[in-house]
Amino acid sequence: MRLRGANSPSAAEPATSGYHASTDPGALDSGLIDRSFGGTEPLSRWMGWRLRLLVVSALLGCVAVLLLARWLAEAPHIEASWKVGPHGQLELASSSDPLLKLQEGRTLLGVIGGDNSMAVVDALTLRRSSRWLSDDIERERHRAMHEQLSTALSRDKVKLFFSEGEMVEQALAQRGLGSLGAMFWLLSGLALVLYLVAMVVLLARPTARNLLYVLAALCQAGNLAFIAIESTMELALPLPLPHWNMPVRMSFDLLTAAAAVHASALHPRRIHGAAGVAWLGWLGVATLIVLLGSGQLTGAWWWLQGSVTAMCLVSIGLLTWSHRIEPHPFAIVMRRFGVLAVSSWVLLTLALTAANSVPLVQQQIAAVGPTIWYVFLASLLLLLPFLSKSQQVMREFSLLAAISTVATSLDLLFVAAFSLGQFASLTLALFLSLGLYSGARQWLLNRLRNQNVLTTERMFEKLYRIAREVEAHPERTPALLTQLLRDLFEPMEAVVIDKRSLVTRVTGGGSTLLIPVPELAHSETLEASSIVIRFAHHGRRLFTSEDARLADRVVEQLRRAVAFDKAVEQGRSEERLRLAQDLHDDIGARLLTLMYKAQSPEMENYVRHTLQDLKTLTRGLAAPNHPLSHASAEWKSDLTQRLTAAHISLGWSFSADLDISLTVVQWSALTRVMRELVSNVIAHSQARRVDIEFLLEGDRLDLSVTDNGVGRNPQAWAHGLGLGGVRKRVKQLSGEVEWREVPGGGICCRVCIRQLSERT
Amino acid sequence: MAIKVLIVEDNPVARSFLCRVVRESFSDTIIITEAGDLESARRHVGLLDPQRSEPLAEPFKLVLVDLELPDGNGMELLAELARYPATKIVTTLYSDDDHLFPALQCGADGYLLKEDRFEVLVEELQKIVRGQPPLSPAIARRLLSHFRQGPGGMGGLAEPGLAGTSGFQSSRPMPLGRGAPLDHERLTPRESEVLTYLSKGFTIKEIANLMGIKWFTVNDHIKSIYKKLNVSSRAEAAVLASKQGLV
Repeated sequence: MRLRGANSPSAAEPATSGYHASTDPGALDSGLIDRSFGGTEPLSRWMGWRLRLLVVSALLGCVAVLLLARWLAEAPHIEASWKVGPHGQLELASSSDPLLKLQEGRTLLGVIGGDNSMAVVDALTLRRSSRWLSDDIERERHRAMHEQLSTALSRDKVKLFFSEGEMVEQALAQRGLGSLGAMFWLLSGLALVLYLVAMVVLLARPTARNLLYVLAALCQAGNLAFIAIESTMELALPLPLPHWNMPVRMSFDLLTAAAAVHASALHPRRIHGAAGVAWLGWLGVATLIVLLGSGQLTGAWWWLQGSVTAMCLVSIGLLTWSHRIEPHPFAIVMRRFGVLAVSSWVLLTLALTAANSVPLVQQQIAAVGPTIWYVFLASLLLLLPFLSKSQQVMREFSLLAAISTVATSLDLLFVAAFSLGQFASLTLALFLSLGLYSGARQWLLNRLRNQNVLTTERMFEKLYRIAREVEAHPERTPALLTQLLRDLFEPMEAVVIDKRSLVTRVTGGGSTLLIPVPELAHSETLEASSIVIRFAHHGRRLFTSEDARLADRVVEQLRRAVAFDKAVEQGRSEERLRLAQDLHDDIGARLLTLMYKAQSPEMENYVRHTLQDLKTLTRGLAAPNHPLSHASAEWKSDLTQRLTAAHISLGWSFSADLDISLTVVQWSALTRVMRELVSNVIAHSQARRVDIEFLLEGDRLDLSVTDNGVGRNPQAWAHGLGLGGVRKRVKQLSGEVEWREVPGGGICCRVCIRQLSERT
Repeated sequence: MAIKVLIVEDNPVARSFLCRVVRESFSDTIIITEAGDLESARRHVGLLDPQRSEPLAEPFKLVLVDLELPDGNGMELLAELARYPATKIVTTLYSDDDHLFPALQCGADGYLLKEDRFEVLVEELQKIVRGQPPLSPAIARRLLSHFRQGPGGMGGLAEPGLAGTSGFQSSRPMPLGRGAPLDHERLTPRESEVLTYLSKGFTIKEIANLMGIKWFTVNDHIKSIYKKLNVSSRAEAAVLASKQGLV
């Protein structure tokens, strides 16, 4: 118990922390963020008086259960089991007592206690609870009969009168703890757990909404305790239970329903006129309790069932309204739960009514149906604080709940409508629902899986694309990551805020997920920030801690992808560098020697060109990208030097709307095109002046090299190595090149690349 | 009077080519000493004889040093010749600033690119000796960031795409050291302007026009920048050396 208490606060926290979050619809209110960053409640907060109180209440609960068990164990006991006979009479089913064994199969007519009090019994005696008796008179009779029986059994000896005038005198013994039965312990254990969860929620933050939860949970724990006690019944419930059974359990049900109405008016969103609705609910419940308790209403059971149903429907309506105002997925989940609970409640009521004519069947339904329903409701209540914790648990639970509901309803239906035997109907119901389950499950999972496979594939694609983009633009990491998370969770809102959350977590009662933006690429400018996404799947789903883990894993994968890309890039650049150095050192030195030894100026020039090309190549290999402005400065300075040496003047005009970063291919191609064109001019044109225009506008590059030399009729030129090289380089960049005669003498070469950034 | 020239170059063909360039460049009588590696170069200069206190009767007026030599890097010799009263010129195949910048820091007065044509080399050599050293846009950029970052600024670290290619960098460690920049570590506004224009590919004549000054004034600025780079580098080296207890 201690351990549970220490661990539960963080579990109970999501249900409570989002309560004030939704005062401001739509927009992200700063309060939510602040509170979210206020942090997961530190464990130390739970180490003080809260923990002590929790331990105390846990001990109290345990002591209460043990006292209850002891009290029941002291109850008088006849060593026999009873059953309802075919004509609505009470029969002795079996007994280990030799005297009673003779009476097996006989009808028990009455019991006379030690104080000569007399109790007349019949089949109604075996109905465990007056709560599920629909008829007022029957219920009253049940109460009176049980009170008489309890009184009769309160002395040492009883006389049992059987049909055919038989009478057996029997000494009473205490039944002992061992004979209480597994059902009692299971149900009281569940009640205890529910009570403890209620205490944890209460101690975590005693707000109005939490108090409502606590009230409902305690009521249901009480109901479970009653059912647990009833499960131990042999002939009669000990005093004063027969009297209090109906009023107390009725109050429990009504109070739970009122709490549900009140809570759905407040959570997940406080709706307009919540106070009025709540007051109306509480007033109605109070009136009903008073009226029913004093017996002033006829058809009490119908009033009770009807009003609980009505209030639950109101609650569902409120949740629908609330979701329409603010798409908090909590409302949807709660509504689903509500619909399940109410429909099974209605079904149970109808089944009991339908079986009215067959007391045996009705008794069976009344014994099994309500127990299952209350256990189901208790599990729902238990699950509530942990809704945003685990999707796995949710899914399993909803499957289980759906299947149990189907099985129970079928069972009840078979028993009630077709008058099948208990065993046959149960088997048939289980069989059918298992078949339905296996079929539906396969279909459901297939649907889910198909969707997931698609998203997983797309996810990977996106992940790697974003990794590359993050590498190129580290400052856009938050935006890119937000996009990724949008695709993943389809939230209604996604915002980047300038605060750092240490871990990824779910807040706002499962409506909000906070993800810290990781530092994927090294950049000093990136500020610590977080991404807040709200209302997963367009407000149809709650975030759970699995979603938080998924987000973490996605971020981790992204980080790895970026790191991997970087490592690959670094490896490539090192390799290129080594290659460049080797080329330059070895081939360069040899070419130089060759150049010095050249036999003719043509040969020398040829080798010099080769050497320059080699240098361009190695330079390109060594530096992965070149800013256009730097490259143009070098082009200009290089061309100026060469043209000056040839006594040709240079007119240089350069304009670019964007200082792009040239890739190796672009840089070396443009460098060689320009050098080749200028070499051509120097070698053949006898020009006095060369004009070079470089224009980059909106990704379109226009380069023209115009000389005023003697060149004519470029179409007739033999495209040797030089011009062929130019064509090749321009084609590499997906561009076009043409040579034209200039009026007044000279040649103009135009290079046009329409989409420079297309080929990289 | 004859001019003594030292040519340090391991490739004999290149050496004889450079000899031709030197002879063509000057009308005076030229006495050329050739060295194939650093060790023989040191011997010729007299660096290896510490007992010989008086300098050589006739010091070299001009030293051409190749960077890649069999027994080391030419920059080592440049650094050792820091106070040697000669015009020191780097002859290399490497025209990129990653190679040339450290050489200039070591006190080279200029650089020649070995693949240039004979006439171009002659002209460039004459210019350097006259005090008109070359300055490519890439080196100008490197200089700008060097001086902007103050002493010990890691050269072109601010220039992505240039600094990333440290593969061509020499093995010599870049001087480190931080502190308020001294006068010789700062450029005048005019010098910065000249460097900025140079880094954008403007020629000296264009810069003179743009700034409204004579071309030789531009040239003076360039020479001054060269000197400052060398001095600041030497000061950094000294700071570093004294920190390491070498001096």
